[in-house]
Amino acid sequence: MRSSVRHVTLILSLLIVGAACSSDGGDGGEASDGGVGDRVTISFLAEGEAEEIEAYEDIVAAFEDAQDAIHVELRFADEGEELLEQLSTALAGDAPPDIFLMNYRDYGQFAARGAVQPVEDRLASSSVLHAEDFYDTAMEPFKFDGTNQTCIPQNASSLVVYYNADLFEAANLDLPATGWKWEKFLQDAVQLTRGDVYGAGVDPELIRMAPFIWSNGGQVVDDEADPTRLALDGRLSTQATQRFFDLRGAYGVSPPAEVADASPLEEQFLEGTIAMYLDSRKVVPTLRTITDFDWDVAPLPVVKEPVSILHSDAYCMTAASDHQDEAWTFMEFALGSEGQQIAAETGRTVPSLRSVAESDVFLDPSNEPSNSRVYLDNIPLLRAVPNIGPWAEIEEMANGLIEEGYYSNAEAAEVAREVVTQTQPLFARDEG
Amino acid sequence: MAAPFLLGVAILVVLPALLTFAMSLFRWDLVRDPSFLGLDNFRELLHDVNFRAAMRNSLIYLAIAVPVRLVLAVGLALLLQPRLIGGAAARGAVFLPAVIPDVAYALLWLWILNPLYGPLNLALAALGLPTPAWLSAGGPARWGVIMMGVFQLGETFLVAFAARRLVPARLYELAAEQGAGPWSRMWRVTLPLMLPTLLLLLLRDTALSLQATFVPALLVTEGGPPPNATLYLPLFVYRNAFSYFRYGYAAAATVWVFALTASIVWLQYRVVRRFRAEWI
Repeated sequence: MRSSVRHVTLILSLLIVGAACSSDGGDGGEASDGGVGDRVTISFLAEGEAEEIEAYEDIVAAFEDAQDAIHVELRFADEGEELLEQLSTALAGDAPPDIFLMNYRDYGQFAARGAVQPVEDRLASSSVLHAEDFYDTAMEPFKFDGTNQTCIPQNASSLVVYYNADLFEAANLDLPATGWKWEKFLQDAVQLTRGDVYGAGVDPELIRMAPFIWSNGGQVVDDEADPTRLALDGRLSTQATQRFFDLRGAYGVSPPAEVADASPLEEQFLEGTIAMYLDSRKVVPTLRTITDFDWDVAPLPVVKEPVSILHSDAYCMTAASDHQDEAWTFMEFALGSEGQQIAAETGRTVPSLRSVAESDVFLDPSNEPSNSRVYLDNIPLLRAVPNIGPWAEIEEMANGLIEEGYYSNAEAAEVAREVVTQTQPLFARDEG
Repeated sequence: MAAPFLLGVAILVVLPALLTFAMSLFRWDLVRDPSFLGLDNFRELLHDVNFRAAMRNSLIYLAIAVPVRLVLAVGLALLLQPRLIGGAAARGAVFLPAVIPDVAYALLWLWILNPLYGPLNLALAALGLPTPAWLSAGGPARWGVIMMGVFQLGETFLVAFAARRLVPARLYELAAEQGAGPWSRMWRVTLPLMLPTLLLLLLRDTALSLQATFVPALLVTEGGPPPNATLYLPLFVYRNAFSYFRYGYAAAATVWVFALTASIVWLQYRVVRRFRAEWI
């Protein structure tokens, strides 16, 4: 009896170990893992909310309907940071996706390490995609060496102001319009702040402050082509930062820390407790669920010069992919007219392909926001932050100090000095 | 008999530890070939503002959470010894947080600690007490993480409970016959006989506490409120490895954690041994 128990235990143990060690590539475990039927399987890693995921699923379904040689396996991460971690662990585990979708501010650390396969040559010889069909402003940040196209953007979004039109009407205020000034924005925010409603909601982050710094004539880095330090301590940069901080400290028109921590600003806008909310196009699918009030979009208020900041993510091919030809074929579809139309219909993207951006798919005023032309008008005014290897870490460190200063009503000059000092060593780090 | 266990320890603990020590001497992003740096990673850590913050936060957590958890666990173990009505349910309630998956537990606390809508602040407000900004202010955020750790005392409680059960009842009868009161019996009978177990729990808890902050810091406070109010060593290691691709640097930080744990555990062992030698 005891011997039988031992035998059974041994067999069960071996079965468990065998199951644990087996690899079926079920969850897209390998870059390319044979095929489904006769098709080659490639994996595509992206992140997004439910509506975005649906869009990518639609793109994949349309692609697979259009051809039968390639099967695309979708992998999703919840949000930006999880995407970075999933991708880095996949690379470390020698099982990277063939394609991933990533923001220009984050892809640099992968490109710096040679993990991304540049697509310049493929783009040049493609009969489907042509570089001149895309917005240059979106394409440039995805040239990691400054010359050759590393990734291709699906998106040419920017920071804009979403406003609650009903609140403006109730307060007898003119709606935000192109060319409106910072002073009007502030005045409106003050008048709209009453009870549990705040006039303006904006996350205290470097990329939110950057367009106002530029608009004021200041700089975010010392040299945009080859940055060696943040330049937030310059006079004009500090001035713009102080204006930004004053939204909370001096005027109280933006929610305090405990309110912002209790509920994301986006949710507060949805509930009608924030009158103006600054974000990019990515929130539109969620905002389209609003039924209680009318809302629309306006460009950023102008301090001195009209400016906004690029928000863009791109399809990138991993250097370790074993099926780069197939991956490129999918990229051509996803970034071509049909793929970009599918993405645009969700409201999530400002298409990087001019023909789709200028079409009714994106501009139809019956789709909210009705004033989508704002995003296209912004494109010539867009500036980008650097895409160097350590940029993600630099931003994270800067954001920590900026957030602390914003909510503690600190002096912008002091915060700027601290940010510059603490991030300095990161620029010097050899990532190449 | 111990061979399978030792084999498992060798493969799953010793080997990864040795590889980590080796990795700490290199710059390696797991994409390009590693390059030997010697002790440069350790030197850089000493000047890293984030590492110093993580070290400080971890030591503070250790200094507060470990004794609080131990005292509470032992106290509850002694309190719930007698067979009382509802005693089993109470013991179950004490143990329950320890078996909830870490992620679910963290998400529960994210709701509990919500400064406006969380039940904790709502209860405090109803009692007319101050309502800390748990997720927005540094001090309250650290206390929030400590609270999360303290409530997961189930395993410590269980071991202490069992250790108390092993104390022969005869000894209490003898002590009572000699006129020893309840406090005296606890100090002279219960605690000394439980001491080996308590020492084990102290050492174990110390080692685990240096890692236990990872999920709360990652999911609940995200290392903030900024800058670095709840950045602990495990989160520092995780970020450097998986967010910044600095595996060698993260490995060096892990070596520091190992050294810190070993030092503290050794110190505790020496102190308790001396205390025991003087007392017993």
